[in-house]
Amino acid sequence: MWLRQAFVVDPSQNLAVERDIVLKDGVIIEIAQNLQPEDVRAVLGLSNSEQIPQVNAAGKYLFPGLVDAHVHLREPGQEDKEDIRSGSRAAVRGGFTSILAMANTKPVIDQRALVEFVRIQGQRAGFAKVYPVAAVTKGFKGTELVEMMDLFEGGAVAFSDDGQGIQNSEIMRLALEYAKLTACPIIAHCEDNNLAGQGVMRRGEASARLGLRGIPASAESVMVARDVLLAGETEGKLHIAHVSTKESVQIIKKAKKLGIDVTAEVNPHHLLFTDEDISLTATAYKVNPPLPTRADQEALIEGLLDGTIDMLATDHAPHTWEDKAKPFAEVPFGINALETALAAVWQGLVAKGKLSIQKLVELWSLKPAQRFGLPAGMLKIGAPADMVLFDPDYKEEISAANLESKSLNTPFLGKEMQGFPVMVWVDGKLLLENRQIIDVKN
Amino acid sequence: MKWKHKDLLDLDVLQAEEIEHILHTAGPMKEILQRPIKKLPTLRGKSVVLLFYESSTRTRTSFETAAKILGADTTNFSVTQSSVNKGESLLDTARTLQAMNVDLVIVRHASSGAADFLAQELRAGVINGGDGQHAHPTQALLDLFTLKEKLGGFQGKKIVIVGDVLHSRVARSNVLGLKKLGAEVVLVGPPTLLPAEMNYLGVKISYDLDAELPGADAVMALRLQLERQQNGLFPSIREYAKLYGLNLERIRKTGKQTVVMHPGPMNRGIEIASDLAESPLSVIDEQVTNGVAVRMALIYLLIGGASSDVA
Ligand SMILES: [Zn+2]
Repeated sequence: MWLRQAFVVDPSQNLAVERDIVLKDGVIIEIAQNLQPEDVRAVLGLSNSEQIPQVNAAGKYLFPGLVDAHVHLREPGQEDKEDIRSGSRAAVRGGFTSILAMANTKPVIDQRALVEFVRIQGQRAGFAKVYPVAAVTKGFKGTELVEMMDLFEGGAVAFSDDGQGIQNSEIMRLALEYAKLTACPIIAHCEDNNLAGQGVMRRGEASARLGLRGIPASAESVMVARDVLLAGETEGKLHIAHVSTKESVQIIKKAKKLGIDVTAEVNPHHLLFTDEDISLTATAYKVNPPLPTRADQEALIEGLLDGTIDMLATDHAPHTWEDKAKPFAEVPFGINALETALAAVWQGLVAKGKLSIQKLVELWSLKPAQRFGLPAGMLKIGAPADMVLFDPDYKEEISAANLESKSLNTPFLGKEMQGFPVMVWVDGKLLLENRQIIDVKN
Repeated sequence: MKWKHKDLLDLDVLQAEEIEHILHTAGPMKEILQRPIKKLPTLRGKSVVLLFYESSTRTRTSFETAAKILGADTTNFSVTQSSVNKGESLLDTARTLQAMNVDLVIVRHASSGAADFLAQELRAGVINGGDGQHAHPTQALLDLFTLKEKLGGFQGKKIVIVGDVLHSRVARSNVLGLKKLGAEVVLVGPPTLLPAEMNYLGVKISYDLDAELPGADAVMALRLQLERQQNGLFPSIREYAKLYGLNLERIRKTGKQTVVMHPGPMNRGIEIASDLAESPLSVIDEQVTNGVAVRMALIYLLIGGASSDVA
């Protein structure tokens, strides 16, 4: 396949320029400027009479497939919200070709058979590549470590009790220590349960005004501080999920200066919404960690630009509409994000000049691929052809009719957004065309 | 004035003139309450549902009395009698009420936003009878009515609200109303129950009751939920009463014939001493009477429409 005149953005090669790309057998076999049909025939080994399948990509960007380090697919156990198939289709529709599936399913992913189940379900579906994250503690109880080596051999790429924080500091210390056997990072969901209490949004004037119980910023920041100290002491590998406070950013920055092996992610909703956007009936905005203040948001964007925060991640957390059709305090936390996140960041940050396209791709493809050791994040010759053709002008209304996810809990529902993937390939196989998933039979 | 709101969820969306209009309408309603036969045909054929997820005999009875005097049919959909106990969701309850074609729903619920949620789901009008820590607009309106009767107006009047402001929907709604009508409001309580985020209200915050009492035209004590002490928000009931409890001796520091209010039910000897609650300064019983009058006014304005005159 010959992709012509795409504007290729690949930070791994410092590339942001028009190029032609040739694929064969799921792999990129040529990247060059202005290829001629005879060049393409030569690399593909086609005779002069054979047609070259080609795509005209002029005016569009080509990114390496995005990698999302934080996705909740709900299978096994809560398939009414999402399953591995629907979630990995939604991922492709959103431009993600590799995703990390969190372990807080029912049951939680704390045994090898379960890790293998998630991995194999991902392969059966055949859309985005699904990499399982295994639990840190058995049953998410926060008391005993899982069999990390066995889970690693079963396909886990990281360990996390995401969905809840590990309250016992000694268990967290042991996890960071023991996980060194696997070289996988521990992904920390930083939340002190006592400080968070029964809170449902960030504590501050907005929560006071709405009469909603507040979660103080410290509920996250004290755990970020604890975990980087433990990572320093153990020389373990730590990844901080969904950073949302300015104090967390300061702590991570300091930790990196000290040489601690820590990376961090930020979710688009924390960059684009604040606690002031919440109203009592807007339950789609209820998320954990809660939407930050304006000052936090500025610190998060600064941290993203100066390298303190390493990557973007969606924290895609689907919930059914009836889960969310309740008073604010009673609905579950979570935002459905895979199919809107890229457009949201495009419109909210890139189009406004706050984030360069190169940086966007680095944060959402190269960096997470590197941190979690995935074969992704670059468009080099020989690399798997996981690719996104992105049209910055494409507009779409977010609606139940076009979402692939089983759930609709997005603040963007009913709104028009701009900047979407129009073609997506995974291992060279075209899975999205004209914003429609191409069904595969495996 | 033409009434244009379908619901009453809080005072934030009302103009000062609209609040005045409610208080004005409550005047003749209070007169009706003094009559030997308290029954009007005004709302005959209208159905009012009382949907109380938190038990509050006082508030429910006040609304029920108000609706009945105006001639409406009332239905109690309270916790013990309905499917609420069987775990039916608020959404399904709303669907049921919609199908029953009721005219007005009065809701009390432990979750902030429950009234807003119902108002969004229902064609019927909704009156918020108290939602979580968010709002209690009818309590605020009856307090405003009482204050207006006692003080004549709000301009230049100093109102001190003391207690657990953080968790109080009564305090929130009162401050919104008092500010709109031009009163000076001071909030008093310990820092744990009056944290910095309450500055959103844009009124003075103080930890020192005795320093704020001088010049106060009215003092409102808030009900203290005793479990706050168990949750560590203050060290003891004893220390709380010492620092923030109202009593007759303390109220003399205002240097005025101060109006003393409490939304009830009282924890006597904690936020208010009996000597003060039973004194002529206390308007606590009148607040109850005024509650019925104000709720009559609201029900009338919301579903009385262009029907016959009130008085
Ligand atoms: Zn989390």
